[in-house]
Amino acid sequence: MSSSVQTPPRGPILVPEPPPPGHARSLRATVLRVVGAVMVPLLAVGLLWWTLDFLRDSDANRFLVVGVALVVGVLGVFGLFWSMNRVVDWLPERFQEGARPYVFVGPALVILSVFLVYPVINTILISFKDAQSKSFVGLDNYKFVFTDESMLRSIRNTVGWIVLVPLVAVTVGLAFATLADRLRRGEAVAKSLIFLPMAISFVGAAIVWRFIYSFRPEGFGTNIGLLNGIASGLGHDPVPWLQERPWNNLMLMVIMVWMQTGFAMIVLSAAIKAIPDEIVEAARIDGASEMKVFRHITIPTILPTVVVVTTYMVINALKVFDIVFVMGNAEANGTEVIAERMIRWFFIGDNNGRGAAIAVVLFLAVIPVMYWNIRRFREQEAIR
Amino acid sequence: MTATAVAAKKEEERKGGWFVRITIVVVVLLWTIPTLGVLVSSFRPEQLVDSTGWWTSLAHPLRDAEWTLGNYRSALSTGGFGNAFLNSLAVAVPSTVIPVTIAAFAAYAFSWMNFRGRHLMFVAVVGLMVVPLQMALIPILRLYTGGATLGGVTVFPDLDLGGTFLGVWLAHTAFGLPLAVYLLRNYIGSLPSSIIESARIDGADHFTIFWRLIIPLSVPALAAFAIFQFLWVWNDLLIAYVFLGGSHENRVLTIALADLVGSRGENWHLLTSAAFVSMALPMAVFFSLQRYFVRGLTAGSVKG
Amino acid sequence: MRLRTLKLRVFAVPVVALTLLAACGSDGDKDIANTQPGATGTVTVFNAMEPEEVTALQKVVDEQINSKVQYKATIEGSSQFEEQIKIRVQGGNPPEIAMYPQPGTVVELGKSGKAIALEDMGFNIADMEKTFGSYFMSLGAYNGKHYGVPTNINLKSMIWYPKKAFDAKGYKVPTTFNELITLSDQIVKDGTSPWCVGFESGTATGWPATDWMEDIMLRTAGAPTYDKWVTHQIPFNDASVVKAADQFGRILFTPSYVLGGAANTTSINFGDAVAPMFTNPPKCMFNRQANFIASFFPKTAVAGVDYDWFPFPKMDQPGDAALFAGELSVVFKDTPAVRDFLGRFAGTEVQCASGRSIGTSRISPNVNVGGDCYANKQLADASKVLTAALKANTARFDASDLMPSAVGSGSFWTGMVKYVQGGKNALAGVLSDIDKSWPTA
Repeated sequence: MSSSVQTPPRGPILVPEPPPPGHARSLRATVLRVVGAVMVPLLAVGLLWWTLDFLRDSDANRFLVVGVALVVGVLGVFGLFWSMNRVVDWLPERFQEGARPYVFVGPALVILSVFLVYPVINTILISFKDAQSKSFVGLDNYKFVFTDESMLRSIRNTVGWIVLVPLVAVTVGLAFATLADRLRRGEAVAKSLIFLPMAISFVGAAIVWRFIYSFRPEGFGTNIGLLNGIASGLGHDPVPWLQERPWNNLMLMVIMVWMQTGFAMIVLSAAIKAIPDEIVEAARIDGASEMKVFRHITIPTILPTVVVVTTYMVINALKVFDIVFVMGNAEANGTEVIAERMIRWFFIGDNNGRGAAIAVVLFLAVIPVMYWNIRRFREQEAIR
Repeated sequence: MTATAVAAKKEEERKGGWFVRITIVVVVLLWTIPTLGVLVSSFRPEQLVDSTGWWTSLAHPLRDAEWTLGNYRSALSTGGFGNAFLNSLAVAVPSTVIPVTIAAFAAYAFSWMNFRGRHLMFVAVVGLMVVPLQMALIPILRLYTGGATLGGVTVFPDLDLGGTFLGVWLAHTAFGLPLAVYLLRNYIGSLPSSIIESARIDGADHFTIFWRLIIPLSVPALAAFAIFQFLWVWNDLLIAYVFLGGSHENRVLTIALADLVGSRGENWHLLTSAAFVSMALPMAVFFSLQRYFVRGLTAGSVKG
Repeated sequence: MRLRTLKLRVFAVPVVALTLLAACGSDGDKDIANTQPGATGTVTVFNAMEPEEVTALQKVVDEQINSKVQYKATIEGSSQFEEQIKIRVQGGNPPEIAMYPQPGTVVELGKSGKAIALEDMGFNIADMEKTFGSYFMSLGAYNGKHYGVPTNINLKSMIWYPKKAFDAKGYKVPTTFNELITLSDQIVKDGTSPWCVGFESGTATGWPATDWMEDIMLRTAGAPTYDKWVTHQIPFNDASVVKAADQFGRILFTPSYVLGGAANTTSINFGDAVAPMFTNPPKCMFNRQANFIASFFPKTAVAGVDYDWFPFPKMDQPGDAALFAGELSVVFKDTPAVRDFLGRFAGTEVQCASGRSIGTSRISPNVNVGGDCYANKQLADASKVLTAALKANTARFDASDLMPSAVGSGSFWTGMVKYVQGGKNALAGVLSDIDKSWPTA
């Protein structure tokens, strides 16, 4: 890829920073710098605080709130990074290289620690406690997770979800992105239609699939579900699709594939379009078939993106809950999945300990995926 | 482009043309039919929706009794939708912009800066994608309403963020960050190292490189993530419920929709129209950002 | 732990509720709490009500309370009540008042110290027991203190029928279960399936079947055994439970009794299940469901003409039993406004006004609210049945809402689905599975 992209333009857009302060500088300049180093971030924080106070006022005019929020969101956050970067500039030179990365990753790490890491620790803690999180019960909750019949079924089903859903969604997404790229007209429309399900809220999606799977036995009126409409059109009896074990699991996976393929398609399509035309054209001129171009140029170039998309799909399939949850009594239908069990025990079964222990199983399940990712990224950095 | 190349391109289109087009049409149909069912139903009277399949109306497209705007009328007239729309906007826009900015900085650092443990840190960030947000809500709400102290030291101040927009933005930012960092790191990390190196040689510091070079180059990736995050936030029900509440002044569009239907689902036919009403804005956003995915944008911006 | 409190709760029920109920009419019109000084600010009342219900009740509250006081009370309904209230309470951000449909949860809140005891807010419990009956009050009690004010009640023991067609056939409303079976046989003979049954309810699929079980259990085993069943003093596969399930099976599994067959009922939404009753001629004659089901009837159907209801008939036990559900209002923030609001809201005047509002369709647990307070005859009749059963101490709260949620909102639902699908042979396994799922601590 590097061969095709030209050297960036020099000059006006890359203004070098002023040289760092030398010993010869006057005392006044040093004082000014120190004062500046303190004042700039203080002002930034003060400004953020003031807007925070304003934004906390829930009675304020909505338009004004959106406006201020936009300004704070764009300028405020940028200003925060900018002023932190300035502070690093005023540090002694030998510390600068060490400190600067933390200016860049710092805000992300702080937010993630508070909003995600802390809850994870909290979850791990209560997974060793009883239903009301009062006293420690050792490994009891984990024993439940790995012995309860319904839990074991949910683990089995989840394995099915994390294999099948990413496989189908990524394959269809990649195929569609590749083929749509070759359309002369209508690419935008075709891609938008695949993407459409992502724009539907889950409440809406539940209705969408009700019109597919709905079942009415003899006497309860005409079937309004498409599948049973087709079945009766072919002279079959209507089928309670969501009760037919084990196929009902597949019926539910179809919903997730339907919702998520758009994501895979869009991201992969962006990656395909980022492949420089020159490379593809060169290969074609050399007489490579379309299949060869796909296998030897497209796939290797977008492989990192395929990994990213697959990882995201696997994690999402691991976390799937609402589809299973609203589409019937999972335990009675044999469609339990891990995250659905977690919600059920935590929020409905009133058992914090069991719910948390199931969540910890989810955390652990992601480790192999992450290990695979580390290796991919090491490889990528070695070759770029 | 040489004459041979043009000929090769023609050849390719002849070969792949029909197969490509038919496959695309079949997949698009498969993906659209479920939604089409609801779209058709949203224009049918309640009794018909419940008593015959939606496809039967397609057989009589001109029969008046088959069609109505009543579902849209009653969904929109329920009241409070305008306010809910504004609230959704007030939640979704900052909840998209803030994580994109923060994640872009972090993704740059993870790709092009050297510091100890960055691989491990990065993978930890991405691994956080797996945290089910339901498990995070109670601890976060507790921080919002009471802060946190550790051995008498305040580690998180009591900001009283419950029921505020700021509280929702921060929560959405946090839940969106892992994916954002992941996607952007993948994109920014794959940019050719020659660009960054030559800029370094010219004396540009990281901040300048990031802002003047990386950001313009990353527009497609930024736009892609922005779309996902926006859709996610727009369609979210749970976080908005927990941190803003379901009162008429504060509720967002998804809550208004859920309220319309009720917990026993008596009015589910109204959802057919309401689902499309709530989809309008996200689709507009998608179409307006679509142009960022156009071929050659990346290369073009570099070529200047 | 939970078990112990439940035992306590049930045995604390004085059998004298009835006499008190009868006696309280005279002084019933005084509010249970007096107007509080300094009652300002806002009171948010969070609950699981339907959107129409919320609108109608807010109107009642605006007219009857907000217009007369210095604070503003807001009714906030949510279809996600259970999850939301748990997050808000545990996250330290509860509303002032929440209306819980599950008394078991109210006891847990008292136990964990999250809820504020009515005693500590200066409510007169003796007065309240006169107003609401001590059985209902006792459901929200823990360790001698009360945590829930009954603010709504609904009758579950109702069998709905298409009155016009029913009368035209010359059928008579049955008063005993045997008469009901005989009539069902007659209807089959006349070429119709007597029962419309639907147990599907998304993730909660199976709950309407638990209501059936409870109704039959209450009438075959009687209230004292029912209480033991609820608190797990008898195993879930006790002979009395088996007997009730067998009676339920007589309806489910007798050929031609259930429209579409028993196995399909778990795929039929409980709301859709009433539709065949309103075709012409009706495809079924009976649907057993709580009073809210009327909102699923066709909008053109007229109460008392096109449809009506009769109480679930007597079985082995003497007296009129009634299965009911309801709400206990729990206080999380004790302010003068909250005290004042609860006093007014549960009081006779506001309760009567809310009964009169068609949109709320609420029946008041306040016994001073007379039949003339209700918007229609259906609601008034239901309130009459409830009062009579409360007087005979044969009214009992929905068992699945009293059992630990692992059972009451879990294995009981699932077990009933398996029974309905699997038939009589599945029963023994189903009941022992539910019994095993009962939490030990």
